[in-house]
Amino acid sequence: GAAWARGLLSWARPERWLASGSLFPLSCIHTSTSLQQIGKIGKWEKKNRIVYPPQLPGEPRRPAEIYHCRREIKYSKDKMWYLAKLIKGMSIDQALAQLEFSDKKGAKVIKEVLLEAQEMAVRKHNVEFKSNLHIAESQTGRGRYVKRVRCHGKGMFGMMKISRCHYFVKLVEGPPPPPEPPKTGFDQAKEYVQQLRNRTLVHTL
Amino acid sequence: VLVLVRSPLPRLRALLQRCWGRLERGLWPSVFGGQSPPWGAALAVQGLALVPQGINDAEAPSLLESVVWMAAPKHRRTIEVNRCRRRNPNKLIEVKRNIDVCPECGNLKQKHVLCGYCYAKVKEETRLIRMEIYKKEGGPFNTPTVETVVLYEGEKPTEKDEGKRIIERARKRPSWFVQN
Repeated sequence: GAAWARGLLSWARPERWLASGSLFPLSCIHTSTSLQQIGKIGKWEKKNRIVYPPQLPGEPRRPAEIYHCRREIKYSKDKMWYLAKLIKGMSIDQALAQLEFSDKKGAKVIKEVLLEAQEMAVRKHNVEFKSNLHIAESQTGRGRYVKRVRCHGKGMFGMMKISRCHYFVKLVEGPPPPPEPPKTGFDQAKEYVQQLRNRTLVHTL
Repeated sequence: VLVLVRSPLPRLRALLQRCWGRLERGLWPSVFGGQSPPWGAALAVQGLALVPQGINDAEAPSLLESVVWMAAPKHRRTIEVNRCRRRNPNKLIEVKRNIDVCPECGNLKQKHVLCGYCYAKVKEETRLIRMEIYKKEGGPFNTPTVETVVLYEGEKPTEKDEGKRIIERARKRPSWFVQN
């Protein structure tokens, strides 16, 4: 709706209709509703474009972050989620090893994405060692679904949906962070006692 | 509304009952959309569900005797319950601890499995040797009853390879193919 209105307004822009010799090339591009087919830049792809101001001499070095994704993978997002959960927090070498010997269809796709991201990191994002990366975030998203007819016996039919998914990964330079120790009962008890101690009287002297 | 179908054929009766059920629910032609109505108890009506008319005319036919109840979900499973089931650790993929590095080529391999790269290398060479054998034999069922020896460039048959069939390969001997 909004894109359609925008398209209409761009068509009705007055400067476009001013008869002038010079036609700016930008005004010839029309914003149409079918922007998805042309290649709309997603939010994840735009995250690679942010540029930080130069760091001051005393500041600790900011680790490089590389965002990469693949859209419209022919796989289910729930099944892909298990693979994304597997490699979350691993170093990139370990993740590639696990995916190489996984029997799932999505493992091959995620491996390609990780290798592409590693290549991008070394070439464009000033990462020194390609092994010195770890996976900070790995998520799946729902792609475009298509409904189709599935034929059953005796002339019956149902509607099935052909599902596709997106996969997003964020690589950060540096060794992987150590895993959090699981919360023990003692820790929970300490927290509970602390909560009891924090109780006080409100709205009083 | 109780509809009594006076039909002797049990299959036709079952079909008509199904059709009537679908008509009632307004699903004809039946299209199973995304929203499934909340399921209730489902009846599986057997062939002889019809109470014989002669015995009880005044009473309505009792359903509890001649009907088998099938299991069906009573309530919708909430997304929280679904998440607990789907994300249970037994459903997550386990981290494999049996991955090593192949000492020959440096690729990754599983401990109990041959290295994929080395296997592919050997497979390719075997395919080329088999092509040479095919060229020599010319057709099926021409296998000689003697052993075969593969010789690479610059190799001569030794006295051990006296009566054996010799296959020539036009390349240097690969390091992994040890000569006897």
